[in-house]
Amino acid sequence: MILRRIDEPAIAAAANMARDEALLLEGDTAALRLYSWAPHSVSLGYFQRHCDFADLGPDVPIVRRLTGGGAIFHGVEVTYALALPASALPTDVEASYARLHDAVVAALADIDVAAVRLESGAAPGARPTSRWCFADPGRHDIVDRSGQKLVGSAQRRVRTQHGARVLHHGSIVVERPKATPFVAAIADQVAATRQSELRERLAQRIAAALGMELRPDQLTPEEDALASMLQRDRYDSDAFTRMR
Amino acid sequence: MRPNDRSYLKSHEWCKIDGNVATIGISDYAVSHLSDLVFLDLPNKGSNVTAGESFGEIESVKAVSDIYSPVSGEVIEVNKELPDNLEWLTEDAFGKSWMLKVRLTAKSADLMDGAAYDAHCAAEG
Repeated sequence: MILRRIDEPAIAAAANMARDEALLLEGDTAALRLYSWAPHSVSLGYFQRHCDFADLGPDVPIVRRLTGGGAIFHGVEVTYALALPASALPTDVEASYARLHDAVVAALADIDVAAVRLESGAAPGARPTSRWCFADPGRHDIVDRSGQKLVGSAQRRVRTQHGARVLHHGSIVVERPKATPFVAAIADQVAATRQSELRERLAQRIAAALGMELRPDQLTPEEDALASMLQRDRYDSDAFTRMR
Repeated sequence: MRPNDRSYLKSHEWCKIDGNVATIGISDYAVSHLSDLVFLDLPNKGSNVTAGESFGEIESVKAVSDIYSPVSGEVIEVNKELPDNLEWLTEDAFGKSWMLKVRLTAKSADLMDGAAYDAHCAAEG
């Protein structure tokens, strides 16, 4: 199977989320979208309450993700979204994380960043106590040598006319944001300029983990049109962002 | 073998029909593959669900999944205690962790019996 590699420049939070959802819903392909955020923004987990982030002030854009988990401050980071048929991953959610996160750890090692996937220990509590994704490392999370979380991740699983599909979000911190000082960052270990190399290695390692062949691509006109609609009707909409 | 007094969807929801009322939930297979459930969002009483379309969402620590309706009709009862007692899903997926009761107007054409659903789960692994 082909893994479409879609490299995009830094764009606004709502556009990023809309483009990821369009890749999830439109068609039956496997796609890896690599991107970043301009301006820097906060994404809320799907079930989080907007009012819990009132202290961030009006200057920080907030978007609600389709995927779960805690909030992430997206500063200087390498963000990836993998949209693919569920059959391309293990059925078990934890096993799917193990497969993908082992690939991410290998990509980090390729650029001389030491990180490990936590293989044991309890999952985070049933009702996570922190509002931030990076505050509570749990089973299958990727941490640096000091045990601080380096990669945030979450999934959405849906069934479309093309069958069961998965959207997997991942954020690899390059430089530690002031808003979330407890995170690890690859700039702690190597020059931040190696993030472009990380993108390359990440794409190769994820494709290998999935047994797929990488092919450079872009959104189709249909995906682009769906993304525009989703951005307007969902991700730029207060009704969605503040629905909880 | 899973209970044969009800029908199943490939997406792992079940429905048990009694007269014109369908009781809906998700299977033990779905629960075991999600693990560590965190949030559940269900529709309100009086709303309508459509066979094959999403009626709710459930979050485990690592994934949000849509829940699809096996039937169409009006929601006449919601298990309001379930979102605050998600461990019920692990303890008794086919009993006290039912989600909705729906006044039935139509059923999905894709419903399977217990044996066919068992085979489907075995194939998914």
